[in-house]
Amino acid sequence: MTSTDELMTEERSDLLAKFGLDGQNKASMGRVLATGTIAEASERADGTMEATLRIKEDEVCWDPAILVLPHGGVLELTVINDDKNTHACLLPSNGDQKFLWLVNHSKGRATINLDGPGYYWYSSPGGNDEGRGLTAAIVVQGEVPPEARLDRPTQPRA
Amino acid sequence: MTIEYVDAGEAINHSALSSMVGVAPAVTNDIDYERLLKARSESQNWLTYYGAYDGQRYSLLDQINTENVAKLTPAWIFQAGQSGQMAATSTYAFEACPLVVDGVMFVTGWDGWFWALDAVTGKELWRYKHAVPFDVSLCCSNVNRGCAVANGKVYFVTPNAQLLALDATNGELVWQKTIGDVRAGESASIAPTVIKDTLITGSAGGEFGVRGHIDCWDLETGEQRWRTYTVPKPGEPGSETWPADGEAWQRGGGNHWVTGTFDPELNLYYAGTGNPAPDFDGGVREGDNLYTDSVVAMDVDTGEIKWHYQFTPHDLWDYDSTMEMTLFERDGKKLLGHFDKNGYFFVLDRTNGELQHVTPFVDRIDWGVITRDGKVTPRKYPDKEGEPVHFYPGPAGAKEWTHAAYSQKTELFYVPVADVGATATRRRREFKEGIPYWGAGVQVDIDNMAGSVSAFDTYGEEKWRWRIDYPMAASVLATAGDLVFAGTPTGEFVALDARTGEKLWEFQCGSGHHSSCSTYSVDGKQYVVVPVGWGGWLEGIVPGLLGQGHGSAVIAFALPS
Repeated sequence: MTSTDELMTEERSDLLAKFGLDGQNKASMGRVLATGTIAEASERADGTMEATLRIKEDEVCWDPAILVLPHGGVLELTVINDDKNTHACLLPSNGDQKFLWLVNHSKGRATINLDGPGYYWYSSPGGNDEGRGLTAAIVVQGEVPPEARLDRPTQPRA
Repeated sequence: MTIEYVDAGEAINHSALSSMVGVAPAVTNDIDYERLLKARSESQNWLTYYGAYDGQRYSLLDQINTENVAKLTPAWIFQAGQSGQMAATSTYAFEACPLVVDGVMFVTGWDGWFWALDAVTGKELWRYKHAVPFDVSLCCSNVNRGCAVANGKVYFVTPNAQLLALDATNGELVWQKTIGDVRAGESASIAPTVIKDTLITGSAGGEFGVRGHIDCWDLETGEQRWRTYTVPKPGEPGSETWPADGEAWQRGGGNHWVTGTFDPELNLYYAGTGNPAPDFDGGVREGDNLYTDSVVAMDVDTGEIKWHYQFTPHDLWDYDSTMEMTLFERDGKKLLGHFDKNGYFFVLDRTNGELQHVTPFVDRIDWGVITRDGKVTPRKYPDKEGEPVHFYPGPAGAKEWTHAAYSQKTELFYVPVADVGATATRRRREFKEGIPYWGAGVQVDIDNMAGSVSAFDTYGEEKWRWRIDYPMAASVLATAGDLVFAGTPTGEFVALDARTGEKLWEFQCGSGHHSSCSTYSVDGKQYVVVPVGWGGWLEGIVPGLLGQGHGSAVIAFALPS
């Protein structure tokens, strides 16, 4: 898994810090969603993907805040709670949402299956963990299969 | 010192933390084409979206009737709810029609939900939840209209344009096909139809300038049998109704987003098609714009369009014609009745598309005039850039997608009527794939509106009208008990006398109605079931009730034991 924190522009990082949007109980009570790190899942030879999701101590947010997948399919996750409070993880997956209890200092696994393209939110569904910052995104890149595209010339995009 | 992590194990299905049973009886194993052809005669069941291929939404059940309906009470309530974020959080709604097979109910919801319920108790037997991208393009809301059942499976589509076949006994995925391009703005909300050994679907996304299509899939494998585009390419029949030197056909709309009807003797599938794109800017698509706002009669084996009839040529008001094409007979003639968004009731000879007659079914129509013999004269439409134009009916139409019913007993149509206008101001814009492509700013009136369930004979003569203060926004059901059931935007579920329109019963369901009720019986006891949950394209249908509370309940009613 490749961390791409450095890709976040200095200007944006500075502004998030300046206004207190990047942490707990600064400007807002919780951390504004999707203001954290960005990471890319690793792709295996068989096309499945893997990544790690982590809750750091007292940050009440997911690391990464945005996980990028190269395409839809099976994603195997390691989910770690480094916090000193109990949380949980509710993940989107075709068929049913996946749920994991995460007591203090615990580590679990989840296997999910997502269509692409598009992005999905996952969260810790307890108390208001979701509002405090424990809501994060999984972004699936790519296009739909060729056979599902419209029979028309390539169209302009925004 | 390193402390070992506590092992949190493997994530489990969210449904494992519920009282869900996990299995259902194998009630769809024996459902095949022969049974579907006779669906109405299985009056204990509701086997297809409309209850039968003819689209009549008429049940032979008569245990609940005009004499006893006043005693109707809730038998059970299923509350769906939602955990986590979802697409179109503010617009999700129940738009489905529940199917019932031998005591098992199959209901779809917003955002990829599917539930199998015990039809007697409402207990959740199994669920399937498709993961739907938060950013999927949805012109109008996060909704789904229902499923199909056959051969041990259930079939439905998701907002991100996936067609799924599930094992009807446990909800496990059997196969999945991508049926549209979400990057182009396509989505899916239609209830599929099983015909022979195939499944028919259509696309949504006309507000994003896609090219509409109707598809046929193998029931067992999901392999595509045929695709027919509803906007022709240059050189194809109908292409002369689009600008010859332009790109308009590539973004022409004409989506089939509501289930069609089927005549097995003629082997024709009657598909309604949606608005042309851009909705309100006709200047970039001169011509009639076939086959938008039409019924296309398709050979179900090949997808060939055998005939068509266009209800609103060169539409400038967003008058989709996707709503039901009700098949009925009169004086031995095979006919098709259609209540269009444009405010007119059309009756066609369904063997060849020949118009029989046209009549208005709403009080206020000023966008134009259609004579009884079908001549269309537009009068008020967005034409000049930046100049507001007010017209009736508004873009949700005098009847939105929600369905009328036809009683074989009374030979009357029962129609959920909406009477509200709108103002459109043309604002031309460049086309960009995946971005809304309306060509106007539109505001639907938030006052001076009305609605009704209105009864018409097959010639379009109004026989009675049950009035409400808001546009009707839910489907109507007719039964052999001489009853008409309908839900209102303000939450009342009512039973009307099919012969007089007198209200005989009502129940306040706690949220507005925007779905299709159905009826069934188990062990000789009749139930009427209605999904309740306000939402949908309210800014178009009844923006005066945008602030009403949402809901997510399926409510079944029965007579006391």
